[in-house]
Amino acid sequence: MSLPSHAMPHQRSVFERFPFIPALGILAVLLLLNGIAEPNSMSFGAITGLTKTYLALMFLAVAQSLVVFSSDIDLSVGAILSLVNVVVVVLIERLGGGADAVLLSCLVGVLVGTLAGVFNGFVVVGLRLQPIVATFATGIVFTGLALWVLPVAGMPVPQSFWRTYGGRICDIPFVFYVVAALGLLIWLTVRTKYIIQLMAVGDNRLAAYQSGLPVTRIRIKAFALCGMLSAVAALCIIGDTASGDPVVGNAMTLYSVAAVVLGGTALSGGSGSMLGSAIGALIIGLINSFVFFAGVSSEWQNFAQGVAVLVALMAGVLITRRISK
Amino acid sequence: MPRLRLEGVCKRYGATVALGRGDLSLMPGEVHVLMGSNGSGKSTLSKIIAGSVRPDEGVIECDGSIVTIPSPRAARDLGIAVFYQELSLAAHRSVVENICLPGLGHARGLFRNRAEMTAAAEPFIEPFESVLGEGFGLDVPVGRLRADQRQLVEIMKTLAARPDILIFDEPTSALDRAQVECFMAVLRKLKADGKSIIFISHRMDEIFEIGDRVTIIRDGETVRTSVLADTTMEEILRTMTGEEATGPAAPAVSAAVKTPQRPTVKLKVSNLVAPGVNNVSFEVAAGEILGFGGLHGQGQSAALRALFGAAQSRSGDIEVGTTRLTGNSPRASIRNGLAYVSGDRARDGVIEGRSILENTVPIYALKNHLFVASPRSLGAKAQQALEQLQTKYQTLFHPINSLSGGNQQKVVVSRWLMAPPEVMLLDDPTKGIDIASKAELFRVLRELAAAGMAILLYSSEDAELLENSDRVLVFNNGRTVRELVGDERTRYHLYHAAYEAA
Repeated sequence: MSLPSHAMPHQRSVFERFPFIPALGILAVLLLLNGIAEPNSMSFGAITGLTKTYLALMFLAVAQSLVVFSSDIDLSVGAILSLVNVVVVVLIERLGGGADAVLLSCLVGVLVGTLAGVFNGFVVVGLRLQPIVATFATGIVFTGLALWVLPVAGMPVPQSFWRTYGGRICDIPFVFYVVAALGLLIWLTVRTKYIIQLMAVGDNRLAAYQSGLPVTRIRIKAFALCGMLSAVAALCIIGDTASGDPVVGNAMTLYSVAAVVLGGTALSGGSGSMLGSAIGALIIGLINSFVFFAGVSSEWQNFAQGVAVLVALMAGVLITRRISK
Repeated sequence: MPRLRLEGVCKRYGATVALGRGDLSLMPGEVHVLMGSNGSGKSTLSKIIAGSVRPDEGVIECDGSIVTIPSPRAARDLGIAVFYQELSLAAHRSVVENICLPGLGHARGLFRNRAEMTAAAEPFIEPFESVLGEGFGLDVPVGRLRADQRQLVEIMKTLAARPDILIFDEPTSALDRAQVECFMAVLRKLKADGKSIIFISHRMDEIFEIGDRVTIIRDGETVRTSVLADTTMEEILRTMTGEEATGPAAPAVSAAVKTPQRPTVKLKVSNLVAPGVNNVSFEVAAGEILGFGGLHGQGQSAALRALFGAAQSRSGDIEVGTTRLTGNSPRASIRNGLAYVSGDRARDGVIEGRSILENTVPIYALKNHLFVASPRSLGAKAQQALEQLQTKYQTLFHPINSLSGGNQQKVVVSRWLMAPPEVMLLDDPTKGIDIASKAELFRVLRELAAAGMAILLYSSEDAELLENSDRVLVFNNGRTVRELVGDERTRYHLYHAAYEAA
């Protein structure tokens, strides 16, 4: 059975299929600017370093986008990251720091992050609180727990942990394997039935409910996955900083939201791209390094970063508009 | 044995009875038409079957066994699928994804298979192949489709659930004739396959074309079920409205019989087109109350909002008095002498949390370009306007929320009376107001009309509309289909016009 030929050419536009294209453009421009400001910043080593630093934000942004797809938001991702960070670091120490201890601790960390996400889902979906305020509050709770687990920053992790994260396998830096894994994860996730349901819920919650979708379960699942990926982000942070810090992730929360938006995902839900969010995280990373390489004096760096993020957001909007026309 | 049987099903919201007694028996292989006037409870009845409203009392039987339908999901598991009038589509998802959405969770496997989904959707698209129109495609996001195409997708989605019981709530309102033909063919096939169909439509010709039996709901109670072949449109309308075709007109309002020698036209609208409004033209004279009637959501409110400049877009000619209205914004409309009072006070009327005084003066302030004002001199003027409507309040400085709904609405109306407009647009103004306040409000509106104001009135209550309008324009699908004057202003004629094919 086939449809008349006149019906077939009308497909999704390129931009509808790949909403991250504007972000990709901005990323290219920023790479160019970085290269001009400091040619060395385009060296293999520098790129590896940049990836090492911003891998956690990439995971966090991808985590955030899942929740945003269903038209919710999670302002506790940073706090979950911090909590998992200290739980893993303390657990490794308590278990003696062997290879088994490291692996087990990482697994427990991912579990803790997932549970934190389920708790968020319960509070937002089950108790029907506004996600923006409810996750703000749960974020404070998670920070409180993190401070109870490890009151002050410190406590180094075994060498094996950060050596692996910063090291190479077959001459390719470990972090690039992680990036590839993240890419594979995204590739698989966008092909699940779940993501279609999730997007439908974000598009029109009532319509999804009337269509017989288990809206509550779908939304809680998004929060759980978000918590899980935030925990993976925490593992990246540990690899990068090699120690525990109960507030390390808290400033990253709104960066993750910014990365999601930079990546072409609408906060209103129902459409967007996880790959875009990962690119959005890299854009933020490149902005920060550009501001540094451009020789902005330290007291003006925050100002310049803020302006640059604004410019990137505006550029994204303009490109989107141009393409949609 | 009936496939679905409802007995004594009842739903109340607080003191309001949405459905007093719903009885229905749905046989296999029949198209069962549900008819009733506005607010009679037909949508409540279908929502109960759809699982989105839980009944307070009553028995639902499916294939002979008693069931409860706590959610749309449960309804789906019982083999019930619903076409929602307001559509249940995800705008960013593709046609295929929308059609397959309800079944997605039931199919096994973690990943979607695009080829499989397309194959699953195609049999339901195929019957409409010849009428899909320009721009339709399997992979096109539903939000990019035209209204009629979206409605077709909703139909396909309903069919794709392969249900035994289908509820269609106004499935053809946006479709053209050829598309309706296709749909009717699909319904006939479902009927032949022994499926049961509940059909709600405002097109009488369709009802007689496809329907087998009709159940009529009046004032929240199912009053009669009859075989359509043995009945006539007139008989149905009589049962529906409880009135005779040639019965007495609505109680004549004193002002309704007045015939001014040379009526001065206060508002002249030609070819008004706006979202939900399709080429509407009319005139209103000074001293006249023109009612907008018909089934709910046929463009009455949309036309009033468009006139006030609150619609996204608008074309057509609007003359207030002798001046032509330019600029599509409430501000421009207000400056040209229009006023708008909405039944949705929270959205369009009341300024939450502010004082009664602040809620009374904004229009006066706008029209007089007030920058600095003393509460005392303004208060005196506000008080006058409020007293005209016999508004009950403690002081002008109490917050608006301290008043009852009826008194809040009076404050909103008196806002306009401080600087009287030429034309007043009333968009279901008495929604949620007690009876005494309603009567009071209409007494004042009568006085205002007598003093030369022109008034446009839409009311969701038919009795209120018929009693208070000098003329009634009946809306159907965004167009005006008939004008009721004099003795024709009865519920019978109103529904006769509303159900006539546009």
